[in-house]
Amino acid sequence: MTNAVAGLGLAPDAAMVTFPIAMFLPGSDISPVEARKQEFYDGLTRWRAAFAGNGASEPPMIRVQASSVEHAFARANDMMLARRFSDGLPLWPPTRERVDWILRGAAQPRRRELGAFPPRGGVTTVESCAIALAMAGGRPEYLPVLMAAVEAFLDEESGSEQLQAASGSAFPVVIVNGPLGAQIRLNAGFGCLGPDPQRPAGASIGRALRLLQQNLGGALPGVGTMANYGGMRYTNVVFAEDEANLPAGWPAHGVERHSFAPGQSSISLAFANGVTNIRRRGAKKETPEEDALQGMYRMADFMRVPNMPGLAGYEHGTPGILMLPGVVAKTMAGLGWTKASIREFLWAHSRIPADQLRRAGCPAWIEIDSKKATRESLALDPWPITASPDNFVIIVAGGGHPTNSYWLQGYSPGVVGRVIELPPSFEALIADAERDLGPCPA
Amino acid sequence: MITLEFHDPSGVIAVRQPHAPRVPTLAGKRVGFVSNEQWQAYRMLPLLKQLLEADFPGIEVLPIDAFPQGNAVIGSEETAALVKQSGVDAVLIGNAA
Repeated sequence: MTNAVAGLGLAPDAAMVTFPIAMFLPGSDISPVEARKQEFYDGLTRWRAAFAGNGASEPPMIRVQASSVEHAFARANDMMLARRFSDGLPLWPPTRERVDWILRGAAQPRRRELGAFPPRGGVTTVESCAIALAMAGGRPEYLPVLMAAVEAFLDEESGSEQLQAASGSAFPVVIVNGPLGAQIRLNAGFGCLGPDPQRPAGASIGRALRLLQQNLGGALPGVGTMANYGGMRYTNVVFAEDEANLPAGWPAHGVERHSFAPGQSSISLAFANGVTNIRRRGAKKETPEEDALQGMYRMADFMRVPNMPGLAGYEHGTPGILMLPGVVAKTMAGLGWTKASIREFLWAHSRIPADQLRRAGCPAWIEIDSKKATRESLALDPWPITASPDNFVIIVAGGGHPTNSYWLQGYSPGVVGRVIELPPSFEALIADAERDLGPCPA
Repeated sequence: MITLEFHDPSGVIAVRQPHAPRVPTLAGKRVGFVSNEQWQAYRMLPLLKQLLEADFPGIEVLPIDAFPQGNAVIGSEETAALVKQSGVDAVLIGNAA
């Protein structure tokens, strides 16, 4: 709550009366409200914010001393844990030297403000992004992607202000299009959502975004974010679309969803709160047509679940991001499928019969939605899980194996795109990476 | 001795407006509720209304539904404007969990 208050530009403090969660559950004993009524009265009459000043002064640099480099690193990491700056894994202390090195990737001045990071409202600058990227083990050539992702995150359309604090365990998904992905070693193929020493950029960029969410945004588990489970939050999800394996005639996501020019390096940010592998391929003697169609039904059937995550972006967001490997996309394209026809199929076959909605108590959630179009959708039977087929995000990515596809369950009021802005020295940064990490993998 | 100096990643926050002033007493005041209708607010806020009316002479507590309710609307500028127009001296907001 203090985060939310600070995010409004008020002192990070509030007159609150707090109770254990049990009192907020159906059938609870609410007699503690009467027992503690004086606290409510005091909040209206006597309360004063404990926080003084305007909060706008830079915090001092942190200093640790130790007898060796190893001990200094250990002390720094202990201190970052103790001060709740860490994610629990070892961090690179963001020294001046390290942060200045990262800032070689900045296309804008280090003091430029990008906005207030919700809900706490931490002032977000180019430098604060570089600090987070340094902590996350990043490199200068990653900074342009992080900056674009942060700008999209701070866009009101993303819904980040609510999702940062909400219990639904949303995490940002950053999809990179254009040549930059391969240049900075972002993964688009095998294991693209996981660790990969050959293509380590996504882990660092996503981890840096998470550290910003926590340290500037105040999303500390159980305090600033009520995410019950918080899955995928160590590194969020940052990957590139496998444009090299896009079938002819299938537009890249950035072109299709955000109208960016073909070949433009860009990011697209949405929120998800679930990840699931879907066994897409047939097992016996299916024809190619049967294999494709059965896989489509299996994916649509998986999406036809009344757990309502898509409500957040029913009108203009996304019910989810479907990842198809390039080898599958090419086969399906050969059979006449397009990204658009896949979306139409999913939209038509993921609809939920009204009686199943009712037995699961879904109408109440739909009725209290803030959007009129969403509320009115309740009249539809079967009920479409999103207002338009266009809301499905279809991405070609993943290893060159046909068995599986991947579904990132959307929890996303919007899908926000940004062009990636590069510094003039970017080619030199790529050359430095070749020197430091070896040749870029094919 | 090795010294390692590094940035504090928590940055700064800018305080741009003061909290609303408190009222000296609730007696004789006009008080409102803004409810998100979540987390048993439909039971707790009416109880608070009763308590306020019993404890403070001359207090006027507006009905719980005097303003738009629900998470989707209570943070809007429109709701804020309605609260101001109502002339309340103090407002309670609930419930969060």
